[in-house]
Amino acid sequence: MARHRTKRRVNGGNTQAPIPMTSLMDILTCLLLFVLKSVVLEGEVISPVPGVSLPESSSNHAAQNSIAIAIFDDVVMMDGEVIASVSKAVKSDNLMIAPLASRLRQTYAKSEEIAKLRGDTEEFHGRASIQGDREISFAILQRVMFTCSQNGYEEISLAVLEKS
Amino acid sequence: MPRRSRRSSGHVVDGYLELMPLMNVLVALLPMLLLSAVFVKVTVIDLDAPPTAEVPVPAADKPSLALAVTIKDDYYVLEGQQISKRVIQRAAADAGVQLAGALADVVVQHPENQEIMIISQPHTRYEDIIAVMDISREAGLPSVSLLGE
Repeated sequence: MARHRTKRRVNGGNTQAPIPMTSLMDILTCLLLFVLKSVVLEGEVISPVPGVSLPESSSNHAAQNSIAIAIFDDVVMMDGEVIASVSKAVKSDNLMIAPLASRLRQTYAKSEEIAKLRGDTEEFHGRASIQGDREISFAILQRVMFTCSQNGYEEISLAVLEKS
Repeated sequence: MPRRSRRSSGHVVDGYLELMPLMNVLVALLPMLLLSAVFVKVTVIDLDAPPTAEVPVPAADKPSLALAVTIKDDYYVLEGQQISKRVIQRAAADAGVQLAGALADVVVQHPENQEIMIISQPHTRYEDIIAVMDISREAGLPSVSLLGE
């Protein structure tokens, strides 16, 4: 290397030295392979709602396009907006959570209209994905599921973290 | 270090590879892939909506075996129409293994049955329900429905 540089300076006064890029190329190649391994090529990518600690499961079903309902602490959220309180919903004898039901009906109507405008021949089926914190009780899960199924969202899936 | 090769004429040939175009491609590709990469994979478990008192299940729709696992505070109860009832202590270190074994026995005896109901109490933790669902699925019962007690 030193001999090479010296020669260039002597010959033409050109001080430009080649940068050794082999090691950088190695790093980039490793990084590229690692990132390629992490890229999801099929299904819908679900990002866990901040604050929700999803349970781990051996299920490897890819998520599909659906509305997201998160349940954690004392909050029921839909599409990032707080809709109802867990403690109030659980105290009620009624399995239907009224604010969530109203929001689901609005969303269903909008989605159905979009499907019609798009010219979909198949009947629109609502699909909901529930992101529940691992500590929530079945009481709130049952109420959310019941509310979904009674308002057009009959295809329900539970979001979980894939066990490594 | 540069690699040099001598040709027969005696000229020294600079053997550097032109890596800059490849570097440019990689540098453009990496941020794009990083954006679409998922480091914690979220998957889903598909299930049926729980039948409730307000929406009674027609008798014809009930599975013939009516296989059910009830998650109690201290034990699991495995029961069905043509199988003997089994109670498994949840405190046992191998409770999950015992339940998996019991379900595997049922699958062997009734291979046509693919359905199982998981009956939970209102205060049953979601994580415990998911654990039982995993055990059921791994035992060969992929169709899971959740019910409340």
